[in-house]
Amino acid sequence: MFFKKYGDIIVGIFYAALGAVTIYFAKQLPKSRVMKIGPDFMPIVIGVIVLVLALMLLFSAIKNFKANAAKAEAAPADTSDYKRVLASLVLVVIYVNILAPVGFILSTLGYLFLQIVVLAPNDRRTAKHILSYAIIDVVFVFAVFFLFRYGFKIVLPAGMFTL
Amino acid sequence: MGALGQLGAAALRVCEPTSLLLMIAGVAIGIIFGSIPGLSASMAVALMLPLTFSMSSSLGMNVLVAVYIGGISGGLISAILLNMPGTASSIATTFDGYPMAQKGEAMKALGVGIVFSFLGSIFSFVILTFFAPWLADVALKFAAPDNFGICFFALTMVAVLSSGNMVKGLLAGMLGLIFALVGLAPIDGTARFTFGISEMRGGFNTLTTLIGIFAVADILVSAETIGQGIKTVPVKKVRGFGFSVGEFFKWIPGAIRAAIIGTGIGILPGIGGSTSGMLSYVTAKNMSSHPETFGQGEPEGIVATECANNATIGGAMIPLLVLGIPGDGVTAMMLGGFLIHGLSAGPLLFVKNADVVYGIFAACMICALIMLIVEWTCIKAFVQILKVPKHVLLPLILVLCAVGAYATNNRIFDVQSIVVFGVIGYLYHKFKLPTTPFVLCFLIGRMTEEYLRRGLMRFKTFGAFFNRPIFCAFFAIAVAVILWSLYKEIRAKKAAVK
Repeated sequence: MFFKKYGDIIVGIFYAALGAVTIYFAKQLPKSRVMKIGPDFMPIVIGVIVLVLALMLLFSAIKNFKANAAKAEAAPADTSDYKRVLASLVLVVIYVNILAPVGFILSTLGYLFLQIVVLAPNDRRTAKHILSYAIIDVVFVFAVFFLFRYGFKIVLPAGMFTL
Repeated sequence: MGALGQLGAAALRVCEPTSLLLMIAGVAIGIIFGSIPGLSASMAVALMLPLTFSMSSSLGMNVLVAVYIGGISGGLISAILLNMPGTASSIATTFDGYPMAQKGEAMKALGVGIVFSFLGSIFSFVILTFFAPWLADVALKFAAPDNFGICFFALTMVAVLSSGNMVKGLLAGMLGLIFALVGLAPIDGTARFTFGISEMRGGFNTLTTLIGIFAVADILVSAETIGQGIKTVPVKKVRGFGFSVGEFFKWIPGAIRAAIIGTGIGILPGIGGSTSGMLSYVTAKNMSSHPETFGQGEPEGIVATECANNATIGGAMIPLLVLGIPGDGVTAMMLGGFLIHGLSAGPLLFVKNADVVYGIFAACMICALIMLIVEWTCIKAFVQILKVPKHVLLPLILVLCAVGAYATNNRIFDVQSIVVFGVIGYLYHKFKLPTTPFVLCFLIGRMTEEYLRRGLMRFKTFGAFFNRPIFCAFFAIAVAVILWSLYKEIRAKKAAVK
């Protein structure tokens, strides 16, 4: 309901700020010495368009706020499982950051298993299921590693040990 | 000997068992690379390039052509089944392919995609064989302002894609343009919006952007509802390719239009298959008598995209073979192949190595046929992927995407940037912002600026662009598209108020 009620206002504010920031940073860019249009031209044009469009959206969202709020109140409640979303995001962030230092095999073994468990519905988290996820995890990671490393000759981050 | 005679003789050489087997392997490898999000056709060609060292120049080039064709076509498989384009060329295939798959029509969607990929390829190869030198002359007439006109026209398609809520659609696209600005500016190489991070000087990679927007965002979006239970996607069994002869003939006019768009865009160096697929899709939607069905699982949407992106292959080969100018990453790799095999692409290639040139033409057509047969044979195997539970499948795909993102430039920065685009994709989903304008603007933004500035360098003023008929034509169409979209938006708003 939050997104439905305040979504357009948040989007409008975000884009207005983005337009302003784009123009600000574009103004810091050096002017071209060889032609009228320099590296700052396009960012300024885009920044101005973003600012104008964002203000239009904001104006329309504020003008229609009452009607949209009533619609949002009447809509069914949001049943999204944000715990799973947040846990997945945290896992992905950790994974991409440890991939290089820890290496493909170890980091992927950990990430893949945890990500499957996080996404699995509650009735699919029994010991039997968890064991099958672990087997999928190990088989997949080594299959990908050997296929890419020795089949496609693509060197993956080795991290702490090499094969 | 005429073109037909030379083509016939070349076809016989290409059909020798060794050559045929290697081409089948090449197409299959191309399809694998094309279908895995994160791996691309250019990566497949780069991988195969060293393997062709020991082959004759003719055979080596045929294998590279096979990989190229398989790579571009393979993108449709993951686009339809997973809502993740395997290559940038198949972005628009997801719009109708995935909804069809969700309705149980995965096999039909794949059948449509495969057949019209084949037809698009064959159309462009026929054009390539018989009109290559003439069309290369036409391509040379396109100067920077004309290419700017095309890019500007493509950008106005955002307005069409955003119908219903134009302001939000345009804003969604603008963020794509802002991301396209990151890195060294065209012409003068000034670092923009890099905030002192050296990796950002090269800008964001197209492939990593797509992976983030589609694959990572999909994990986050699915995580919202996945706990409520596993939904199985039905798969209706089909006969043949899954569509009737009547449907086939109904789609032919759209396919011809798509093939012309694809070949035309392919001929122009630097624009590429991703743009042609998108442009063709939006044109088909605009010209359809039932545009509201597009995006809901309309086979004509797949026809438009797949026919166009495969037709781009033949188009892109024209400047490559005739002028020695590669249009995109894959054709640049192919040019490397020519050099390795001691061939100099350009006008002399047709005089000195006519056998190789006609061998490539014949190989193109035969590889398209191999692609059709291989993909059709494997349709049943492809749809098995829908049986894998989403909570297992999505993480596996993400790992492949991360590997692909890393392999693109061997930079961990590319892997990290997929998270940024994933979060953007997720937030777009939450705030009901369409992702397509973002992707389209990101793909075309950089080109637009580059051609504008190049044009201004040569012609000094923007007014001088209007002395060029090609620019004028595209500019006029673009303005008409904007006005028409505005008119439709205002009319729809008035109707809603009533």
